[in-house]
Amino acid sequence: MQAADIVTLLVNSLTWAMATFLVAAGLTLVFGTLHILNFSHGGFFMIGAYLAYSLANAIGGAPSIAMYLFGSLVAGVLVAVLGLVVDRLVLRRLAGVDDAYVLIATYALLLVCEGSTKLLWGLNYHSVQPPASLDGAWLLGNAVLPKLSLFIIGAGVIVFVALEYCLNQTRPGRLVKAIAADPWMARLLGVNVRLVYTATVALGFALAGLAGGLLVSNQTLSPTLASAFVIQAFGVIIIGGMGSIAGAFFGSILLGIIDAFGQWVLPGLPGLPFFLAMTLILLLRPQGLMGRRNH
Amino acid sequence: MRGSTFLGGGGRRRDALILLAVVVLGLCVPSFLNRGLVFIAGMIWINAVFGLSFNLLFGLSGVLSFGQAMFFAAGAYATAVFTQQFALPFIPALLLSALVGALLAAVVGLVALRRSEGVYFAILTLAFAELVHLLIANTAVLGRNDGLAGLQRPALGLGGWRIDLAAGDNFYFFIVAMCALLILLIRWIVDTPFGRALQAVKQDPERAEFLGIPVRKHRLAIFTLAGATTATAGALVAPWAQIVTPELAHWANSTSPILYTLLGGSAYFWGPVLGAVVLSAVFYVTRTLVGMSDMVTGLLLLVVVVSLPGGILGLLTRLTRGEGKR
Amino acid sequence: MNHIDRRSVLKYSAAAAAAATGLPGLVRAQGSGPLRIGLITPLSGPQEFIGSYVKNGAEIAVEQINKAGGILGRQVALEIRDDKANPAAALAAARELLGSGVNLHIGGISSAVVLALGPVMQQENGVFFTCGAGTEKMNHENYSPNLFRPGDSPDARTRAQAKLMAQKYPDITRWTGLVPDHEYGRTTWSIFVDGLLEFYPSIAKKKPEILDPILMPYGVVDYRNSITQALRQQADGVFNCTYGGDAITMFQQARGFGLMNRYKVICDAANEFLVARGLKQQFPAQWTGMHYYAEANKGNPLSDRFLADYQAKTKDAEPLGWAAEAHASIYALKQAIEKGKSTETAAVIANLKGMTWQTVTGPRTLRAEDNQAIKDVEMVYIEPAATEKGYKVTQYVKVDGKSVIFPPAPGKKLTLRSA
Repeated sequence: MQAADIVTLLVNSLTWAMATFLVAAGLTLVFGTLHILNFSHGGFFMIGAYLAYSLANAIGGAPSIAMYLFGSLVAGVLVAVLGLVVDRLVLRRLAGVDDAYVLIATYALLLVCEGSTKLLWGLNYHSVQPPASLDGAWLLGNAVLPKLSLFIIGAGVIVFVALEYCLNQTRPGRLVKAIAADPWMARLLGVNVRLVYTATVALGFALAGLAGGLLVSNQTLSPTLASAFVIQAFGVIIIGGMGSIAGAFFGSILLGIIDAFGQWVLPGLPGLPFFLAMTLILLLRPQGLMGRRNH
Repeated sequence: MRGSTFLGGGGRRRDALILLAVVVLGLCVPSFLNRGLVFIAGMIWINAVFGLSFNLLFGLSGVLSFGQAMFFAAGAYATAVFTQQFALPFIPALLLSALVGALLAAVVGLVALRRSEGVYFAILTLAFAELVHLLIANTAVLGRNDGLAGLQRPALGLGGWRIDLAAGDNFYFFIVAMCALLILLIRWIVDTPFGRALQAVKQDPERAEFLGIPVRKHRLAIFTLAGATTATAGALVAPWAQIVTPELAHWANSTSPILYTLLGGSAYFWGPVLGAVVLSAVFYVTRTLVGMSDMVTGLLLLVVVVSLPGGILGLLTRLTRGEGKR
Repeated sequence: MNHIDRRSVLKYSAAAAAAATGLPGLVRAQGSGPLRIGLITPLSGPQEFIGSYVKNGAEIAVEQINKAGGILGRQVALEIRDDKANPAAALAAARELLGSGVNLHIGGISSAVVLALGPVMQQENGVFFTCGAGTEKMNHENYSPNLFRPGDSPDARTRAQAKLMAQKYPDITRWTGLVPDHEYGRTTWSIFVDGLLEFYPSIAKKKPEILDPILMPYGVVDYRNSITQALRQQADGVFNCTYGGDAITMFQQARGFGLMNRYKVICDAANEFLVARGLKQQFPAQWTGMHYYAEANKGNPLSDRFLADYQAKTKDAEPLGWAAEAHASIYALKQAIEKGKSTETAAVIANLKGMTWQTVTGPRTLRAEDNQAIKDVEMVYIEPAATEKGYKVTQYVKVDGKSVIFPPAPGKKLTLRSA
């Protein structure tokens, strides 16, 4: 293996990692605060991607980077609104309900997402051209680094930094963390826990929609997009520690590298290193790399 | 939940009568319905056992497993391999498949129960199941993505007697018999001191531990048992559908027993059975509603979970309790 | 409490049982009324898109036939079932239909489904036409007299592609493949290699150099590592067996690496317009095999009418080939039923074997030995275009099927040349 190969492999790993992190961020946030594992998160990611697609289609041609980012933000906002509706109708009624019921309810929600996507956008495969400035690659010696890959990596890092800043350095963010740690105490101290929960759900769904928009040029759009990311996202937040954004970030990098190098070493068993790593980490440190023990 | 919670207030006699009624009904099916529907009926029996095995863990012991499909697939593939590639006679193959399921469950349980519980355990079982799925789909001997097709329905040799299960509806009757036995076994487990200890573990693991119940050992034991019964149900699928594919181990298949149980009502012994029947009926009725199956299933489940947490039996109990005003 | 519980439980289960047996249409048998043909095809899940073409093609054939008086004076009705591209679901659907008296079926896109249905069709005395499964096994070791393939056999299609490459690109001798790591992918590649090894020496008078194909993981959303592997090869020609949504994702991601620019020619196995429609201007120019290319069949009255009806029904002016396969299957059954004046399986099979019938792609003949059709293989060259549609066809060819199809070998494993 030459140096160029290692660089390419690293960049590929990080691309996969950041794509997965973008999807997983909202998922782990909602779990950390509301203790709801939202199976349908992938479904809303998919809807965000389709919304971004519709926007790109309406404008026509290859979007500029500004339009691409704007589209992602719009997708994020729209999915956040959807999230508020879902919260009202479904998630609120699941508070205090057994974990199995929550998992099934959100799985049912995923099916509804897939069904709605088929109804609204049809069965055809769609793709969105990346902005012209993101088409093509940079050459680092012998290593080919696609610009879209670097964009995705950049997007993931920026979202991570922004989230960490919001959660740790701003008052609302610290409130969310406090409530996640001890909702009873927070209520005692006069915090409007219900409002913060709703805001967190909105943020979680917004992240799903944003991820959909940012990743829309990364792969085909089809109604099976949701299931494609589900297991990856789950794996990453388990390893990182459910509820920890930083955990999801570093967990996804770890898994991305393991998966890429695993595919190099064991091409006949794709995905095996991923699951082995996940199982091993769960056995050695069940709360994940950065999770807390008392969930 | 009240009293002897898991049995929904019923006793052995009542459940034995229900089983008898269900078996008689099941045996009448081939006289009323065509071959295709008999096939679906057979699958309902198998799925009922699948659901009951899941509820041994969830409803009885409070253990949520999101990976039961791996035992189902293990049993199915084991039987396929034993009968097709090793030409073993059927009953021994069936028993060996149950053993394979038990062994797999023991290994997974030993490893997973040691370090986790609750949601973490559930996700860990999901991970293990996906691992099994991957291994099956990439093993040449197991047919990789295409699975093993062309499985024959065997003949049973009992002493001088020979029953050809490939003829007519014979295999269906065998399924009914086998599943009835498994249901009896599961029902019997519920009523033993072991079963009652598991209920205690579910209600309050800490207190159970103080009372001298070895919580982890019990969980491991029931996990192994459930693995064995699930694998036996899966083993019946191999000659029934005459094909085994990696889909059997996919995580969507792990959600099936959860669906049956929640739909029927996890607090009731017969919940998973009713859930299996109802869900199969829903799928059958909507089978020509092309492309809508996602929406219909999703909406149905949402309604049940959000408004009917006790499942159908929970709803019925509430209604009948209102009926018999005392 | 026990008393009430038991009573109500028994009461409810009795009611449920009564309702179940009362459901209509459970015990019906074939014989009078409409002539029912089963359509078992993916109508949900990943292959739903292709299944929708099969459904439309079949429905158009049935509408046309019914307008002209039906078959043997009876109107035809389709019994449509979703097989979810999953053998277990397909089997359940097949058994249900067979049990209710339907013995003639079409559909089956997934190779696993078709291979699973073979034994059941034989056991339960049914007939099944596959509308585009790519497995060669159904004409070889998994041959069943009850299974028919009315379209391209994988060896005819893939070897026709290899032959075309040798004819048009005699100087491009270094070939590699992008192969999904499953049965269909690997077999298709092996057959292409066989074709290269036969036709390059005979037509281009050169020996082809065949590199190790890149095995693509199946069902993932990130192909970058495989693409990186492909970059390391120095191949001039590439044969792509990835299909559907996976192919589109792969091409999208490959674009960033400039992978497709490195090849002098791209030959795609079976995607028809599917990938071009998905990628539009991002689509790399390539040859692809078609079950049916409308333009190449202009003037054939059956094709013209099919196209017109398809457009009227779905507004789609370019139906993908699977629709044509379904259409051809229905017409094949019609001819066999009318010839034998019977819908009984044995009679239909006897009349199907060796039968020549007219289809939207011209005449086809079903070989008696292995139930495989001999037909011309159609291929098109698609390029991206700066139009709303995003792509255009700039060349098309028809290759005589007889010149590329392997001789029949039912029951035996397929043997191929290898590098």
